[in-house]
Amino acid sequence: MDSATVPFDSALIPEGVKRCQLKWFLFWMALLHGPLMIGVLSYLMCWGLALNVTYLNNNFPFGLWIAADLGVIALGGGAFFTGFLRYVLDIDDLKHIVNFAVVIGFICYLAAQGILGVDIGQPLRGWFIFWHANVHSMLTEVAFCITCYFSVLCVEYLPLLLENRQINKLGFFHGMAHHLHGAMPTIAAIGVFLSCFHQGSLGGVPGVLYGRPFAYREGLLIWPWTFFLFILSAMACGPCFTILITRITEGFARKQLVKRNVIDILAKISGRMLLVYLVLKTLDTLYWISTAAKVGAPFKSFYSTAPYGIWVLIAEIGIFGYIPLVILLKKEWRQNDFFLLLACLLNCTGIFMNRWIMTVQTLVLPVMPFDKAVGYHPNWVEWASTLMWLWLGAIFISLSYRYLPIFSQERELNPT
Amino acid sequence: MKEAHHDEGHGHEEGHGHGTKYKFGMVIDLDKCTGCGACMVACMAENNIPFRKEDTNNRLTQNFWMRVYKISNGLPFPDTEISYIPRPCQHCEGHGHHAATPCVSVCPATATDYSEETGIVSQIYTRCFGCRYCMAACPYHVRVFNWWDARWPKGMEKYLNPDVSPRMRGVVEKCSFCFHRFQRARNKAYAEGRRELREDEYQTACTQACPAGAITFGDLQNPEHKVHKLKDSPYAFRLLEKLGTNPKVYYLSQRDWVRKAADVYMGEEGKDVFPG
Amino acid sequence: MKLGRRTFIELAVGFAAGAGAGFMATPVNWKLMDDMAIWTQNWPWVPVPDRGAVTQADTICKLCPGGCGITVRKVEDRATKIEGRVGYPVNDGGICVLGTAGLQLLYGPWRVPAPMKRVGKRGAGKWEKISWEAAIGEVVGKLGDLRNNGQAHKVACVLGSDQGTVAQLFDRFLSSYGSPNFICTTSSEDTYELATGLMEGVAASRAYDLEGADFILSFGCGLIEGWGSPVRVIQAHSIWRSGNANERATVVQIEPRLSNTAGKADQWIAINPGTEGALALGLAHVIIKESLYDSNFIEKHAFGFENCAFAGKTCMGFKELVLNEYNPDAVSKITGIPGSKIVSLALAFAKAKHPLAVWGRGKGTTSGSLYECMAVHALNALVGNINKRGGVSARPQLATRQWPEVPQDNVAIAGNRMPRVDGAGSGQYPLTRYLPDRLPQIINGQNGGAIEALLVHEADPYYTTLDSAAVAEAFDRIPFVVSFSTYFDETANQADLILPNHHYLERWEDCPTPVGLRNPVLALLRPAVSPQFNTRHVGDVIMEIGRDLGGSMSEAFAWESYEALLEETMGDKWDTLQETGYVEEKGYEPPAWGKAFQTASRKFEFYVTAFDQAGMKMKEDQDYLPHYEPLEPEGDPAAYPLTLIPTELMRLADGAVGNPPFCIKTLEETELKGDELFVEVNPKTAGDHGLSEGQPAILETPRGKAQVLVHLFEGIMPGVVGIPKGLGHQAYDDYLAGKGVNANSLMGVVEDPVSGLCATWGIRAKLTRA
Ligand SMILES: Nc1nc2c(c(=O)[nH]1)N[C@H]1C(S)=C(S)[C@@H](COP(=O)(O)OP(=O)(O)OC[C@H]3O[C@@H](n4cnc5c(=O)[nH]c(N)nc54)[C@H](O)[C@@H]3O)O[C@H]1N2
Ligand SMILES: Nc1nc2c(c(=O)[nH]1)N[C@H]1C(S)=C(S)[C@@H](COP(=O)(O)OP(=O)(O)OC[C@H]3O[C@@H](n4cnc5c(=O)[nH]c(N)nc54)[C@H](O)[C@@H]3O)O[C@H]1N2
Ligand code: SF4
Ligand code: SF4
Ligand code: SF4
Ligand code: SF4
Ligand code: SF4
Ligand SMILES: [Mo]
Repeated sequence: MDSATVPFDSALIPEGVKRCQLKWFLFWMALLHGPLMIGVLSYLMCWGLALNVTYLNNNFPFGLWIAADLGVIALGGGAFFTGFLRYVLDIDDLKHIVNFAVVIGFICYLAAQGILGVDIGQPLRGWFIFWHANVHSMLTEVAFCITCYFSVLCVEYLPLLLENRQINKLGFFHGMAHHLHGAMPTIAAIGVFLSCFHQGSLGGVPGVLYGRPFAYREGLLIWPWTFFLFILSAMACGPCFTILITRITEGFARKQLVKRNVIDILAKISGRMLLVYLVLKTLDTLYWISTAAKVGAPFKSFYSTAPYGIWVLIAEIGIFGYIPLVILLKKEWRQNDFFLLLACLLNCTGIFMNRWIMTVQTLVLPVMPFDKAVGYHPNWVEWASTLMWLWLGAIFISLSYRYLPIFSQERELNPT
Repeated sequence: MKEAHHDEGHGHEEGHGHGTKYKFGMVIDLDKCTGCGACMVACMAENNIPFRKEDTNNRLTQNFWMRVYKISNGLPFPDTEISYIPRPCQHCEGHGHHAATPCVSVCPATATDYSEETGIVSQIYTRCFGCRYCMAACPYHVRVFNWWDARWPKGMEKYLNPDVSPRMRGVVEKCSFCFHRFQRARNKAYAEGRRELREDEYQTACTQACPAGAITFGDLQNPEHKVHKLKDSPYAFRLLEKLGTNPKVYYLSQRDWVRKAADVYMGEEGKDVFPG
Repeated sequence: MKLGRRTFIELAVGFAAGAGAGFMATPVNWKLMDDMAIWTQNWPWVPVPDRGAVTQADTICKLCPGGCGITVRKVEDRATKIEGRVGYPVNDGGICVLGTAGLQLLYGPWRVPAPMKRVGKRGAGKWEKISWEAAIGEVVGKLGDLRNNGQAHKVACVLGSDQGTVAQLFDRFLSSYGSPNFICTTSSEDTYELATGLMEGVAASRAYDLEGADFILSFGCGLIEGWGSPVRVIQAHSIWRSGNANERATVVQIEPRLSNTAGKADQWIAINPGTEGALALGLAHVIIKESLYDSNFIEKHAFGFENCAFAGKTCMGFKELVLNEYNPDAVSKITGIPGSKIVSLALAFAKAKHPLAVWGRGKGTTSGSLYECMAVHALNALVGNINKRGGVSARPQLATRQWPEVPQDNVAIAGNRMPRVDGAGSGQYPLTRYLPDRLPQIINGQNGGAIEALLVHEADPYYTTLDSAAVAEAFDRIPFVVSFSTYFDETANQADLILPNHHYLERWEDCPTPVGLRNPVLALLRPAVSPQFNTRHVGDVIMEIGRDLGGSMSEAFAWESYEALLEETMGDKWDTLQETGYVEEKGYEPPAWGKAFQTASRKFEFYVTAFDQAGMKMKEDQDYLPHYEPLEPEGDPAAYPLTLIPTELMRLADGAVGNPPFCIKTLEETELKGDELFVEVNPKTAGDHGLSEGQPAILETPRGKAQVLVHLFEGIMPGVVGIPKGLGHQAYDDYLAGKGVNANSLMGVVEDPVSGLCATWGIRAKLTRA
């Protein structure tokens, strides 16, 4: 290699791959730190001045933060599900993307916890959820499972970190990475178990609100329907999100990082999960219409508060559900780059929309007939603190990509 | 959804060696209620409820434990009618058994609880960490969050009631049926060697203040208490009865449209009820 | 080597786990967690109220003329809650919003902490604390100079009430000083007293046996907005609702807007604003025509029902006037109420066992039309419920010990002979005692010089008087203004000196029977807490000023202190008053018809003979009788197509006492939003003017202009705009100041032609999109 093109930090960069000059990388980092700092400022405002700096209010105890929380956990579902497919079902080809799925999952769960850290009114007491746990609360279950699962993600991410060129030179860490790799199937299985529980419990969070007929779902076994719907939807959109982020990363890296057959496996499985999810979601919606009517909440009433018209349901299930479903199920379509990306985008949007609907729309609709509907529009503090995790995620992926051998097919696909 | 179960009045039970068991509740006569707001202010004064000048009368951010809703039948002039609905915490019993009160069952930190001794839904400010899940669970907008630090203008903290601790920011609070008054009354009764409270010994601040005598408070199970009989009036109803939250606050009105306002969800059926 | 590394890793992990476990076993982490839990509960700015012995103090609420008994709950020396006093004859345990929030006024930042001397421009709110000696010295110096310069009669006092020893002290002060200008702010009470004086010949307050009535016909009274003694009236309302041991009473509310009272009434009759008097006469027409009146009362105890002989000629009686002029069709045209409804209402009223017609628009803050009041009173007379159960009566006050005659020197005698500055009691208005609402016009009309010094006690004329612009101008023309206010209210804000009185929870004072109560009650304010600031009892201060003015004035105030004066004045009632806080004449019965009336005819006079005695020249027969005389609202209907009426709200104090934060908080979001005030408009009117809910609009009247928000309300008559009274303060603190618009600034004074009192019920207005 020409010394002029060798980045200053080449010693840290994985062998055999090409990375941009350090100055460009630093410029990129600086660029991301701009909005990140606005996010940090919004965090400091929330902690320092109390939550009246947000648009949240007594009608909207939950808002963008909680919707985003539920959303990123669903999208981060790619990590556990890919792990499950790779290690438990032993679909070998997925080993080329499972690392990146873990990175994405790690960021998503970090974001989820980070957002909760600003959302709760007394962050210094956050641990009360463990200390004074109420076993009846879905949120208790979520908290336990998320923290445990986040530890699992840490353990899954650790070997990647240890494979950094310099770290890996240290025999101890090299060995540790090796052993952790060996233990991965077990860890992944634990992850799958924990994930199913907390994805489900997150579904339970709105689903048990029997005071809110819009969100409430009757139980199946001991859980509300939403329990299962949330698990399935996470499985359906997680892989799509992984694909989406992979392709975005490839776009920024200006090279292919994962072979298309690997991505196709994910897309195909995602499509099938989406099929199962949509069938059940449709059945659930029909059943829900009948149960809600019994408590005096006619179906129409749910969609008569602007802007939450019937379009919401059509968009969520139709446009953001059945359209990506068809694309993902049909081989020729999902193998077309444009359609695949479109399907992934629609699918992820649909799931995010679902989380928004289950939380924010639930709160928009007044339950007492004489109560006024009030709109919710998050203010800049909420946006900045939520989007902060996007910038943080980009920084994290950039660093991981630059210094860690995340993509095992990169060298093969981009011979130097 | 499960049917809300009405408890038959068993009369008050003397507990088995423990304290007396009560089931405190309220009956609010909407035909007497004038919407004067004294109950709201009495509650604020009794329970050290803060206020914030920037928020003036904003219902979304100001702190109310008792909130009086104005409703209208929506008919054009001069057939318009209005009514008021004072809304304390409904102290829902919920359906099912343990911890099925909507807000109680969801609290991850057990910071709010349903007391089997009194039927009162408590709120422990020092344990609440402000996740606000309970607020999402309550269909009555009863629960309020401390969006800011409660501060009183200089000198005004002198009027604060030592029986109710002022809350810190970031926690949820709500009507407690003036639980501290129950505690005081119970301590006094015990000191006098009595195990059971008389009806007049424990009354909430809003009940006491209401100039119209619209609020009646007492033990719903005790046939000697006025609420026991009032709640069985043909004009009695509860808010959102069909949801099965099983509230212990009853309302009375001889006006059909007012009764209707209690139990329909917005939209079609509820066409004839409007925020006033 | 490989094995060794594994062992090493295992050891490392084991060590880490061990260290973790070890740490968990030490108390450090538990202590940290515990601390964290405690820190988050004990921010230094979260107050921790001190505990201590709990006691109760009974006294009287002075925040409105209601005179409720209150019980102040105290913890050591702190007042922590105000509750209605159980068993008190006025309010038996009940209390209103305002009364409950009284502690916010006691401890709030709006208190005047010490005597204050203005240092900036008037109204700029720049003050200097001065000593009491200096403050009293300034007043004495100024008043002394005026007195020496023959301008004693140019000193005026404005008070909120003329009842009780403090008011009497001000009166005495002026008499000994040499000014006739003892002025009280007026209300519908003044008009009713006048009507009672004319028709019954007695000078007494009007009392209603509300609790005993079973058919209440309310001519726009805000029965549950704060009318009469507000808590007592609301309690009566609940009695009507639940039935007074027998049947529920019927309540009929007559007003152009669906107020809370109308909303609670059995029947709401939406009437064209300002035409209530015509309706009363229309009802009388039906009652007379159907011979449903109390013939015993009319024949034996009434004068001027039939045509009668008076002043040497035959005069038209009430019957003829009403039968000729006020048939249902004619009345229907005026009032907008269908004739059939008038008939059925009249029949229902007359056939009820204990019907009662009550008068006094809204909270009674404006005095209203005398003839309208007489017309309603005539309705009560027709059904014979004067001085009866469920009826209306004239109620005396409990006697207290008289004070020695006021010593007057020559200056005093000369000054007292001068005409009153407000023109009351002579000339055009011989019957009226106080005409405060005329003052701005008079002062501005004379280009200053009418009043040289103004003393204001427990009134806030700067805020409450209609036509705020004229009031402001008038204040500019008064060289010396002294306020005795406890709070930084608007008038205090415009004063040169504030000599703050104790708060009502800090002082002794007598409190005579509140408005409307049937039984005479004398109550005593007893300090519940010690004075929180450097304030002094206004009674002591006014006596000291008097004594310092010297000469005969020193003799006029020979009492050692206000407390001594109070004890002496209460006489034999003092011990009971001190012990229980009040004396009630329980068995009081109003005099029987034969003895009740002190008119020239010794009868109830439909045809008022007293006008002639007072030297008033009435043109026609009907001027002696209750009749309908439209009081046109100010403004050209072409330029101002709408009619603006004030609306009064229970949760919004609109008198001199500013609404405390708790009460502001309870206002509906359709009344106030942030700093912006809503006016109520019928959706139809709004549509005609292109206005929609929540829209900003400009409200303009001949007297002023303001930006408001529009609230669409089906319950207000099309063409009418309702504006809440009590907002738009500039004084107090920013909890209140700057919120909304002062309704008084948009209205002008319309004088009642007979009494001269303010009879404004509305004003023409226009509403345009902002
Ligand atoms: N919450 C709340 N409460 C308030 C207020 C408030 O702003 N908020 N405002 C307070 C204020 S400022 C006022 S002025 C009051 C209203 O109280 P006031 O103005 O002091 O008395 P009125 O309401 O005028 O009484 C209405 C009329 O009814 C008649 N009336 C009633 N009882 C009698 C009686 O015994 N004798 C006679 N002769 N006539 C009687 C009189 O004609 C009287 O003018 O409301 C007070 N209460
Ligand atoms: N245009 C117009 N005119 C009106 C009215 C109106 O609303 N509009 N209202 C009419 C009515 S109903 C009335 S009652 C009169 C009332 O006249 P207002 O001027 O409304 O008088 P009040 O309500 O009696 O209270 C008055 C004053 O006493 C002070 N004050 C209250 N408590 C204390 C205390 O403890 N100590 C001292 N030193 N001061 C105290 C207040 O700060 C205030 O200055 O005005 C009448 N005139
Ligand atoms: S009303 Fe709301 S806060 Fe009160 S018990 Fe019921 S659910 Fe809980
Ligand atoms: S906000 Fe507090 S009381 Fe409500 S659920 Fe969360 S921890 Fe429990
Ligand atoms: S019961 Fe007590 S806490 Fe509840 S609304 Fe009434 S006064 Fe407030
Ligand atoms: S105090 Fe009584 S009358 Fe007034 S709003 Fe409350 S319940 Fe209604
Ligand atoms: S009605 Fe008047 S006197 Fe009675 S408590 Fe209210 S403000 Fe005080
Ligand atoms: Mo007043």
